[in-house]
Amino acid sequence: MKRAFCIVMMATTAALGFDIARPGYDYQFPRDHFSHPNFETEWWYYTGNLHTRQGRRFGFELTFFRYAVREESGGDSPWNVRDLYLAHLTLSDIEGQRFHDTDRLNRAGPGLAGADAVKALIWNGNWRVQWLDAAMPKGTQRLTAYADEFSLELELSPLKPPVIHGADGISQKAAGEGKSSHYISFTRLAASGSLVLQSETFDVKGLAWMDHEFSTDSLGSDQIGWDWMSIQLDDDSELMLYRMRRSDGTADPHSSGTYIDADGRARHLAWSEIQMTPDADSDWKSPTTGGVYPLIWEVEIPRLALHLTGITDLDDQEVVSERRVGPSYWEGAMNFSGKKAGKPITGAGYLEMTGYDKPLQLGPQE
Amino acid sequence: MSLLRLESVTKHYRSDNQDIVALDNVSLAVEAGEFIAVVGRSGCGKSTLLNLSGAMDFPTSGAVHINGVSTTGLADTQLTEIRRRQVGFVFQFFQLLPTLSAIENVELPLLLCGQTSNRRHALEKLRWVEMGELADRLPHQLSGGQMQRVAIARALVHSPKLLLADEPIGNLDSTSADIVIKLLRRTADEWGTAVVMATHSLEAAGITDRIVQLRDGRVEEIGPA
Amino acid sequence: MTAASVLFVRLIVRPLGREPARTALTIFAVALGVAVVVAIHLAGSAATGSFQSSLETLTGDADYEISAVGGLDEKLLAGLQALPHPLQFFPRIEGYAWRAPDRVSVPVFGFDLIGDRSLDGIARTEGFDLDQLTADDSVWAGSALVPETGRQLRLTMNDQTREFSVHGILDVSAENGASRSNIVVMDIGAAQRAFGKEGRLDRIEVFVPAHDDRDWESIITAALPEGVTLSRQGSRSNENRKMLSAFRWNVRVLSYISLIVGAFLIYNTIAISVVRRRNEIGVMRALGAGRNAVTLAFLGEAGCLGAVGTAIGIVLGWLMADGAIDMMAATVRSLYVSSTPGEILFTPGSLLVAAASGVGVSLLAALAPAREAASVAPSEAMARGRHETTARLRIGRYLAYASLLAAGSWGAALLDPVGGMPLFGYLSAVLIIAATALATPAMVNALTRLLSPLLRAIFGAQGILAPRSLSASPARTSVLVAALSTAVAMLVSVGIMVGSYRDTVIVWLDERLRADFYARTAGQREARQYPTMDPAVADRIEALPQVEAVDRFRAYEIRYEGRPSIIGSGQSEVLIRHGRLGFLGGSSSKDVLTALGSGDRVIITETFSNRHGLGPGDTLRLPLGGRMVALEIVGVYYDYSNEGGAVIVDRNTILKYLPDPAPSNLAIYLADGVDPGSARPAIEKAAGSRSVTVADHRTLRTRALEVFDRTFAITYALEVIAIVVAILGMAGALVALVIDRRGEIGVLRFLGASQGQIRGLVLFESGLIGLFANAIGLLLGSLLSLVLIFVVNKQSFGWTIQFHWPAAMLLGALSFIYAAALIAGIYPARVAARLNPIEVVHEE
Repeated sequence: MKRAFCIVMMATTAALGFDIARPGYDYQFPRDHFSHPNFETEWWYYTGNLHTRQGRRFGFELTFFRYAVREESGGDSPWNVRDLYLAHLTLSDIEGQRFHDTDRLNRAGPGLAGADAVKALIWNGNWRVQWLDAAMPKGTQRLTAYADEFSLELELSPLKPPVIHGADGISQKAAGEGKSSHYISFTRLAASGSLVLQSETFDVKGLAWMDHEFSTDSLGSDQIGWDWMSIQLDDDSELMLYRMRRSDGTADPHSSGTYIDADGRARHLAWSEIQMTPDADSDWKSPTTGGVYPLIWEVEIPRLALHLTGITDLDDQEVVSERRVGPSYWEGAMNFSGKKAGKPITGAGYLEMTGYDKPLQLGPQE
Repeated sequence: MSLLRLESVTKHYRSDNQDIVALDNVSLAVEAGEFIAVVGRSGCGKSTLLNLSGAMDFPTSGAVHINGVSTTGLADTQLTEIRRRQVGFVFQFFQLLPTLSAIENVELPLLLCGQTSNRRHALEKLRWVEMGELADRLPHQLSGGQMQRVAIARALVHSPKLLLADEPIGNLDSTSADIVIKLLRRTADEWGTAVVMATHSLEAAGITDRIVQLRDGRVEEIGPA
Repeated sequence: MTAASVLFVRLIVRPLGREPARTALTIFAVALGVAVVVAIHLAGSAATGSFQSSLETLTGDADYEISAVGGLDEKLLAGLQALPHPLQFFPRIEGYAWRAPDRVSVPVFGFDLIGDRSLDGIARTEGFDLDQLTADDSVWAGSALVPETGRQLRLTMNDQTREFSVHGILDVSAENGASRSNIVVMDIGAAQRAFGKEGRLDRIEVFVPAHDDRDWESIITAALPEGVTLSRQGSRSNENRKMLSAFRWNVRVLSYISLIVGAFLIYNTIAISVVRRRNEIGVMRALGAGRNAVTLAFLGEAGCLGAVGTAIGIVLGWLMADGAIDMMAATVRSLYVSSTPGEILFTPGSLLVAAASGVGVSLLAALAPAREAASVAPSEAMARGRHETTARLRIGRYLAYASLLAAGSWGAALLDPVGGMPLFGYLSAVLIIAATALATPAMVNALTRLLSPLLRAIFGAQGILAPRSLSASPARTSVLVAALSTAVAMLVSVGIMVGSYRDTVIVWLDERLRADFYARTAGQREARQYPTMDPAVADRIEALPQVEAVDRFRAYEIRYEGRPSIIGSGQSEVLIRHGRLGFLGGSSSKDVLTALGSGDRVIITETFSNRHGLGPGDTLRLPLGGRMVALEIVGVYYDYSNEGGAVIVDRNTILKYLPDPAPSNLAIYLADGVDPGSARPAIEKAAGSRSVTVADHRTLRTRALEVFDRTFAITYALEVIAIVVAILGMAGALVALVIDRRGEIGVLRFLGASQGQIRGLVLFESGLIGLFANAIGLLLGSLLSLVLIFVVNKQSFGWTIQFHWPAAMLLGALSFIYAAALIAGIYPARVAARLNPIEVVHEE
C-alpha cells in the first residue's frame, strides 16, 4: 500500500502531465512489476518475518522509492535528474532487541538506481531485487542488500499469484478522481537465505510480503498520515488493511483492505467492514523524533468472524531517515493472535504508522 | 714663557659616587730643557698631573698651558694635535704594541700624524737610545729596560717639546732604571725638551733639576734636587 | 652551591652582565639562527608536509580511491556500486577554475550531490532546490571566495568564462588541516560539462566498513578493468610529500646555514671569554677548582646564551614562518603541485628542533674553548701572550686536519645517493665547510702577510695596525672570518648554482620556444593543471592563411612507480619540421622525433630517466584508456619544466588510447614572411568566444623566468639571513676585540691618535675581515657550488646544469657583504673611540 512518503524534500514538482491512477487499468505482468515513469510516485516494498533454525527471529524491510521530479530529464547527461530514488533497509533483531536501519538516495545516473523490466531488476546501488526466471512465470526474486552493520541475501518465491488491490484496478485513498493508486502485492512469499549481522551469519527462512504501488498525487488534502498492516495468518490466508487518518482524528472512509484466502482469491474489504483500533495504553514515545506510536492494535472483521490482536516484540522499530531527507515512520514486525470463526489463530505481519512525529506531507516541501 | 704652565689647577673625579680631589690648586711652571721630578705616594695625584700636562684631560678649574696654548675648551682634534706636535709619553709598563716590532712602535706616532716615509727617522731615534740593532724585534723578545728605551724613542720620534714619563723606572731593575733615567736627562739636555717624570724613587729624582712633592693633590714643596 | 655553579656565577654571569651590548648581539645572532631553523621547520611542515594537493582537501575520510590516466569511464561506477559488499563508491570530478578578475586559482569539485553520503556536513545545505542542485551555473563556494549565498562568481573553467550563482557557502570547518574556504563545488554532471569530461570521472572514492577487515584491496581490484588503479587514500598526499621531500630537505639544509654561522659565533664568544678570563681561571684553578668545574662553567655560558637565543628564536621563527610559507608555497605551486598550505602547527617536535638546534649547537660550539679553559694550568695562567703563541703553533695542525677533511669531502661527493637523498652530497658540503674553517687561520695569515706592505703604503698607521692585530689573534679573527666566509660561501654557492641553473634554463627555453605563438586556456597556470580547449579553436587557427602549422599538445597526469609525472602528446610531424628538442647523448632531434611519430613509442625527460633508471631501448608500461600499453623509449631529452619529469608520445598514439581531441596547449608556427604582429589579431579572433590566451615566445620566456625567480626567492631569503647573522655576530665579536685591546687603543691615543683615527682603525679591521671573508667565501662557495650542482642537484632532482659564473650577481653580493661588514664595524668603532684612554692605560 501506500508508503508514498515524500522522501523528497529536495524536489520541485508539477504533478501536471503525469498519469493518474484510473479505473480499468490493464495490468500486464511482468511489465507491471517494474517502473511506471508516467506516474509521479512509485514504490516497491519488501517486508518479512524470518527465523533461524534455532528460532532466532528477525524482521526485515527493503523499500525502493521512485519519485519523479520532472517529466523529462532535459539533456543527454545521465546525471540529469528526472527521478529520485530513495531506499530504506531495516533489520529488526527481535532477540537482540535492536533495530537497524539505513537509507540511500540516488538519481538514476549512469545505472546507479532504477526498476528495469528488461533487466528484470529493481535496484539502488547494491540493494537489489532480481527476478530470476526470465519469463518470470513464478516470479521468484533474489533480494540482496548490503549495509555496514548488516546485509541480506534472500530468495523469495511467491506461494500465491500477485493480488491487485481495490476495485476495478485502483486502490482509492481519498475522495476524487485520481486520489488513488495502482496497487499490486505478493502476499505470501517463501523467503530463504542468509543474513549477516555484525559479521555473524544466520541462515534464515520465513515469510515475506511484497507491495508495489504507483500513483500521482493520491493523498487527500486533509490527510495527515496512515496506518497500514499486512497479516499472514497460519491458515494460509492474508489480510491487508489501511486506515487514512485525517487532521480531525477520524479515518477517511476511503480507507480499506483486502482479504486473500488460502487459494489466493482476493476479496476487497470496505472501511465499513473493518475495525482496526490502536490500544490507547500501548503508546511508545520515540526518543529520537518524539513521535508517539501505539504498538498494540485490535483488528475486527465481522464478515470473516475474525478478531486479532497485534503486538510487537520490539518497541523501537522507527525508521529515522539518516539524513532527515524524508519523514520518519514506524515500520515493524508484528505478531497477531486471536480467533477466526471461533478457532484460535495466529499470524505474523508488518505494521506501518506514518505521520506521528509530524503531519505527513506528500508532494513538494518548501 | 714657560713650556708647561699649570695655574691653580684643581681636578676632581667622581668615583663610586664620591668626589675625589686628585689635584688641589696646583700651580707649576716647567721651562724648556728642564727636567723635573714629581714625587709622592701612590694616589697622590702624580698621574693626574701628567695627564693634564699631556692634554689628555681637562682641569676642573684653573688652566694648563702647553707651549703657551691653554687646553681649556679645546676639542678632541685640537688636543690630539697638541699631543702629536708637543708631547711625548713614557709609561711604567712601556705600553709597546705587542704586534708591532720595535721600529714599528717608534714609527707609530709619525704614522698617526700622517707622515709616511719615516723609517729613517725612527731608526735614528732608536739608535739614539742604543736600540738600533734590535729594531726588528717584537716587544716580547725584549727585556724591560730595552722596551722602555724603545718607548722613549717612540715618545721622542716626533721631537716633542714636552716629555711626560709616568713611573718610567717603576718596573725596571736598577741597571735598566739607571739607563732610562740617563736617557731622560739627556733628552732634556740635548733636545731642550721639558721632561716631567713622576716617580717614587728619590734616587732617580736626584738627577733632575727640580723636585715637586705632591701630597693628597697638593704641592707641598718645590725644591731643587 | 657546587663549585661549578659558583665558578659559573663568578666567571660567566657577572662579565656577561657587564657587557650587555655584546651579550645581546651574540644572543640575537643565535636567536636569528634558531628562528630561521624554526621558521623553515614550521613552514616546511605546513607548506609541504601537510601539503596535500589542493584537490585532496575534500577527500574526507575515504579509504581508497580509484583513478586512471585520462579519467575513468563513468559506467564503471554502477558496476562498483552493485558489488555485493558493504562498500561505498562516490564519483569525483576535479579541476581548477580561475576567478575573474584576479585570476586566483580555485579547485573545483564535481560531486554527486544527491547520492554522495560522504558529503554530509560539507556541501549539503538545508533546503536544496533540485533545479539549482544540478544546474550548469550552480556552485557552492568556500567562504574565502564568496561571503554569502546569492552572489555571482565569475569563473574561467578550461576555455570558457561564465557567471555562476552561489547557492551555498561551504562548511569550512577543516578536517586534516585542509582548508575548504577557497574551493568551489558543483554537481557532477555540471562539472563534467564545465571541464569537457562528459562520460568520465576523475576519481571514485571508496569507503569500506570500519569494523570489517576483509582484504578489500583485492576484492575491489578484482572488479576493476586493466589500466584502472586502486590506491590507498592519502597516497597522493604521500606521493606529493615524497616528491617534495627533496625540496624540503634542501630548504631545511639551507636553513641550518644560519645556525652553523651562529655556531661559529658562539665558539667565538666562548673563546673570547676564555681568553679574557685566563687570569681569573688561573686564580680559580690555583684556589682548587677542578678542570671539570671550569669546563662546565664555560659550557654553562654557552648553554645560557643558547637557551636565551633559542627562546627568542622560537618566537621570532614563529613570526617568520608566515613569510616562509608564502615563499615555499610559491615554489611548490610553480614547480610541483597546485596546493594549499596547511596551518602552522607548533608541535613538541618543533620545540625539540629549536632547542636541539639552539642549545645543542651552542654547547657543541663551546666544547673546544671550554676544554681549552680547563687546560689552563694554575701557574701559567698569570703569564700573558702565551695563548696567542699556542694558537699560532696550531695553525699547521689545523691545516693538516683541513686537508684531511677536504679529501673526505671529495670522496663523499663521489658517492651515490642514499634512498634518493644526496646525503653524501650534504656530507661533502659540511666537510668542505669544516675544512675551510680549519684552514681559515692559515689563509688569514697568508693574506695578511701578502697584503701588509700594500696596506701600509696606502693607509699608514691603520694599514699596519689592523692586519697585525688580526693576524696576532688568529683564534678570534679566524673564527670571525670563518663565520662570515661560511655565510658568504653559501650565498656564493647557491648564487652560482641558481645562476647556472637559470642560464641553463634560458638556453633551453631559447632552443625550445621555436613557435611564433603559444595558445592556452586563460587563467593562471600552476604545476600539474591541464585545462583543455575546444579542439575547433586549434582547427580554426590552423586554417588561417598566415599559419603554417599548429602543434597540439595535451597532457595528462600519471603515476609511475609511485611518483607523479605527466604523459604529454604532441604532433611529432610538426615538431620535426619546426621545433627542436635537445636529446641526451647527442641523438639527432629529427631521427628521434621521426621514430616517435611511428607507433607506440615515447621520449622521456632527463629527470624521469634518472629517477626511474630508464633509457633508450627500454620499455615503459603505462595504463592508458583501460589497458596496459607498452611504449618503447626512443630518446631522453633535456627538460627543466617540471620536477616530476614527463613522457611524451605522438598525438596519434595518445588518441588511440584516450580519444579526447581537446588540446591543452597549442604551438603556432607562422608561414614564411608573415609578420607576427599582423597575424596575432587573426589568431586571437579564431579563438572566438573561448577564453584562450595567445602569447609570443618572448612573453612565454619572460613568464617562465619569472616563475623561476619566484621559485628561488626562499633560497635567497635564507642566504641573506645567514649573512645578517654573521654580520651581527661580527659586530659583537668586534666589540669584544675592542674591549680586549682597550689598553692598546688608549696608548694609541696617548701617542697622538685622534678619535677619528681609532674609529677608522676598527672600521679598517672590520673591512679587512669582510675582505678576507669575501675572498675565502668566494673560494669555498665556488667549491660548494660544484657540490650543489653536480652532486646534490643531480642526485635529488636529476637536472643537468651547465656551470656558469653569475659575475654581476656575485659582484653585487660581495660588495653588499663588504659594505655590511663595514657597517658591522660602526658600533664597535664608536665604542673604541669613546674609551677613556687614561682609565684604560692605567688599568694594568
